[in-house]
Amino acid sequence: MSEHTFQPRIIAFCCNWCSYAGADLAGVSRLQMPADFNIIRVMCSARVAPEWIIKALLNGIDGVMVLGCHIGDCHYISGNHRAAKRFVLLKEMLAFVGVHPDRLLVDWVSASEGRKFQTLVTEFSKRVKELGPCREWQVEIQTPQR
Amino acid sequence: MRYERRYEEYEPEMKQSVLVIGAGIAGIQASIDLAQMGLQVYLVERSPSIGGRMAQLDKTFPTNDCAICILAPKMIECANHENVHLLTYSEVAAIEGHAGNFRVNVRKKPRYVDPDRCTGCGECVEKCPRRVSDEFNLNLNRRRAIYIPFPQAVPRVMTVDAEHCLYLTDLDKDRCRLCEEVCQAGAINWEQQEEIVELDIGAIVIATGFDPYDASELEEYGFGRIQNVINGLQYERLVSASGPTGGELLRPSDGAHPHTVAFIQCVGSRDMNHNPYCSSVCCMFATKEAILANEHDPELKPYIFYTDLRAGGKRFQEYITRAEDEYQVTYIRGRPGNIGENPETGNPVVRYEDTTARQVHEMEVDLVVLCQALVPRHGQQEIAKVLGIVLDEYGFVHTPERLLYPVDTSVPGIFACGYCQSPQDIPDSVTQASGTAARVAELLCREEMEHKL
Amino acid sequence: MSEPRVGVFVCHCGTNIGGVVDVPAVVEYARALPYVAHVEGNLYSCSVDGLSSLKQGIHEHRLNRVVVASCTPRTHEPLFKDACEQAGLNRYLFEFVNIREHCSWVHSHEGDVATVKAIRLIRMGVAKACLLEPQDEAESGVIPEALVIGGGIAGMTAALNLARQGFHVHLVEKEAQLGGRLLQINRLCPTDIEAYDLIKPIIQEVEDHGRITLHVSSMVHEVSGYVGNFQITVAEDGEKQSFDVGTIVVATGADVLQPVGLYGYGQFPNVLTQLELEDRLKAEPPLITGAVLINCVGSRIPERPYCSRVCCMTSLKNAIQLKKLNPDAQVYVLHRDLLTYGVEFERYYRRAMKAGVRFLRYNLENPPQIVGRGRAENVVVWDALRGRELHLPVDLVVLSTPLVPASDNERISRLLKVPLGESGFFLEAHIKLRPVEFATDGIFVCGTTRWSADVSESISQAYAASTKAAIPMRMGVVTAEAITAYSEPSFCTGCGTCVVTCPFNAI
Repeated sequence: MSEHTFQPRIIAFCCNWCSYAGADLAGVSRLQMPADFNIIRVMCSARVAPEWIIKALLNGIDGVMVLGCHIGDCHYISGNHRAAKRFVLLKEMLAFVGVHPDRLLVDWVSASEGRKFQTLVTEFSKRVKELGPCREWQVEIQTPQR
Repeated sequence: MRYERRYEEYEPEMKQSVLVIGAGIAGIQASIDLAQMGLQVYLVERSPSIGGRMAQLDKTFPTNDCAICILAPKMIECANHENVHLLTYSEVAAIEGHAGNFRVNVRKKPRYVDPDRCTGCGECVEKCPRRVSDEFNLNLNRRRAIYIPFPQAVPRVMTVDAEHCLYLTDLDKDRCRLCEEVCQAGAINWEQQEEIVELDIGAIVIATGFDPYDASELEEYGFGRIQNVINGLQYERLVSASGPTGGELLRPSDGAHPHTVAFIQCVGSRDMNHNPYCSSVCCMFATKEAILANEHDPELKPYIFYTDLRAGGKRFQEYITRAEDEYQVTYIRGRPGNIGENPETGNPVVRYEDTTARQVHEMEVDLVVLCQALVPRHGQQEIAKVLGIVLDEYGFVHTPERLLYPVDTSVPGIFACGYCQSPQDIPDSVTQASGTAARVAELLCREEMEHKL
Repeated sequence: MSEPRVGVFVCHCGTNIGGVVDVPAVVEYARALPYVAHVEGNLYSCSVDGLSSLKQGIHEHRLNRVVVASCTPRTHEPLFKDACEQAGLNRYLFEFVNIREHCSWVHSHEGDVATVKAIRLIRMGVAKACLLEPQDEAESGVIPEALVIGGGIAGMTAALNLARQGFHVHLVEKEAQLGGRLLQINRLCPTDIEAYDLIKPIIQEVEDHGRITLHVSSMVHEVSGYVGNFQITVAEDGEKQSFDVGTIVVATGADVLQPVGLYGYGQFPNVLTQLELEDRLKAEPPLITGAVLINCVGSRIPERPYCSRVCCMTSLKNAIQLKKLNPDAQVYVLHRDLLTYGVEFERYYRRAMKAGVRFLRYNLENPPQIVGRGRAENVVVWDALRGRELHLPVDLVVLSTPLVPASDNERISRLLKVPLGESGFFLEAHIKLRPVEFATDGIFVCGTTRWSADVSESISQAYAASTKAAIPMRMGVVTAEAITAYSEPSFCTGCGTCVVTCPFNAI
């Protein structure tokens, strides 16, 4: 697959109270951005388990964003603190096993920061494009098991 | 205590409904509390959307929380509550009766848009050719004749400004109607009339908030004459992400980024020639605005000219210290005598005495922000007449027993909270709003609650 | 559990979505997804037509999962969830997909790309919908009785308001009599009413009220439970009493700083705090020819940076009292900023000036010196605004000291498991929008135990706390949204980390 036809697949976990609202504001303000990101809403950035990120990168996702409230603004008081600490560790672990740590982006977006959301998505998309597809352990995408 | 005696004179049946006048943060909080208590709440708001002044602010002190981020969920909670009935773009026309049993007439102004059909998609706004000065943005830019005051407005229903709409102001009714053409929901309704809604109400809460004082009254400061002299609310709109400059601090004359900003306190406050009282919140909002200026540009130097630095709230004094230590804010004790203008650059020139150094100086800055006094909203005298309540000499709602019953007005059954009652910040307004709910509950909800085991 | 039958409703939102995303193509694609039983496109899903089409679709196609692809859940999710419920479907079997704010509006010039993305997002939504399970919202009853801790003006106001609303209140006060700090105060500004005259009828009403159970000389000994159902044990001289309540209001007041070592306090007998002066004014008003009142003593300093809000007015009030007792007395107020905010206080400041009280600004670099032999005789102050040193002869020096957290705060904080802030005062849930609530549901706070406040502010807060307490008690039930964590028994080792970690004391 050549560089300029590679469209990264990105998942963005956004917390209900701040970053999801920031993404909404970007939409309301019609701030244009690359279409590679797909938002999954969680109640708090702390809800994002490191296993999810690993599973995503193993299953065809090229980059993951975790966006929470600014430190001090977490609706659940200290959720984003936990997320911050957890993902610092995860990044190191990813690097250790050979996955580029830049494939994980953790940042804070408040509900009024539509522009910041646009900037983050645009730049992350570009970065993941540079890194290329996350090929390390490509497996088939699983359909839901019932 | 004084009410228990009076209530016996009234009918035993108290209407379980409350009229809240004004849907700023105080009105919204009071409405939510009253609704959660099981009362029916009629929330009347003069403008097309609830939200009030807080929706115009960028951030709030001392946490620097984004104002609309913490306000919008409250707005939605209020509007969605089954016990809250919003009457936006409406005014209270007449009131009769007494505590427990008021009859209220509310005048609903026609929006010319059917709220049941409008989905707030905004297509009509994009097509409307008529541009009008935007009052939400303090006249710093323009909006359309069909509009929504701000992106997070609740209810999300468009409003046609009848005074400026090309179709409505045309004698032959022959012009435009582009909004009607583009609206796929068929929500434009030119036949809409003013409606009088009659309500049976048990208690009334007034929460009408404030207006910025017209700083052009202080001719020596050049507001309205010198382009780069703006007032505090205009500054908020400039730094707001949803404001006229998209959140960039650009000065009016040439759109340049300022490198020095002077904030002047007590403009029209603590002034026997204008408003003798203290507006309470300006020392703090000036500090906030100065911090925001430096956050936008770490090289930017803000100066605050003050008389007494009033930071008596929780974490306020620490906020001021942070401003000095981390955001390059310089506090100068002195009330400037006048503000001139450098004709070549458009820079304002502030002439002041540094009273602690006992020296007179002139400082040329890029932008001056006047932290103007805050006065009761225009229309306060009229609403007071309608309600029959007493106002003080400045237009604030008079509370006869200030110490023990801080939210009770001169009329039993009518309560006041927020800035219209006295100059105060958001936490105090929210507290008073919840406080009025308790007084209303004392009046209307007095059945004995049994402990059911 | 039966097989999922997912209904997908794709909204055009006029041209907001439809003008960019090829909705018919999306609808076609969605038809082919596994477990999808019905797909339709709506012009406006949130409109009356759209909602009735949704409900009809649920019935006609026996849908047991619903996906709406339109705008942001932050506005219309309750609306669609309600519609599902009205059609007989559990509201938690609904999934919202945002293809407007996160798709059509931000990829407006790339219709193809936006369409592919919309398809992708809907595929994600359908996959998730298949995994959704019906949820119940937990309800628990609320006992319509409250505990108010503290019998000062704030506690009594909250207790009386709740009692008048019809609730039963247990009021616990550690002293033998009600009244709190106001019992020590002489007069209140700006009306000059005697504090006792204000508080006496309130104490009487509290004592007489049939719905208030008074526990004086008592302290709260044990608290357990959660909102709606707290078990309280109160101890009076070792004797314990237990009862159950639905809500708790903390109104335990604050202490006044004793400025030992500052400005001759403790050294000279005629250097007093404002509180001590109040006592003196009540008992035997002193005859003063020269008095200096120094503000910001022990506050707005590095060790204690906060401003205590109420001391300036106290200082002005007492300065006016001293002038009243002897109009010829030389009374000075030394300050570092005067906190006479608002309408009434600024008016009071003008009144003090008219009464002849003189105001001098000092700074921390050159603090006033108290000199004398055996007693304070002179105050030497550098007048910052005039730039010269003044020698003020005095027979009385009064120090305005800040309110400090009550010594009991830590104990109560541990008992109730509610936090203290950095300063040692109680920490509210949100400083702007939830000033009288704790993060823990069912417990509220008011008065000076949270932050310095004057009488009318404490009363406003007490009313606010009373409202917050009344709400769950009036409703009779508290409902928990189903979006909560649950413990998986097969994994749980009982380590208790969750109990310690949870900031809401929910476990």
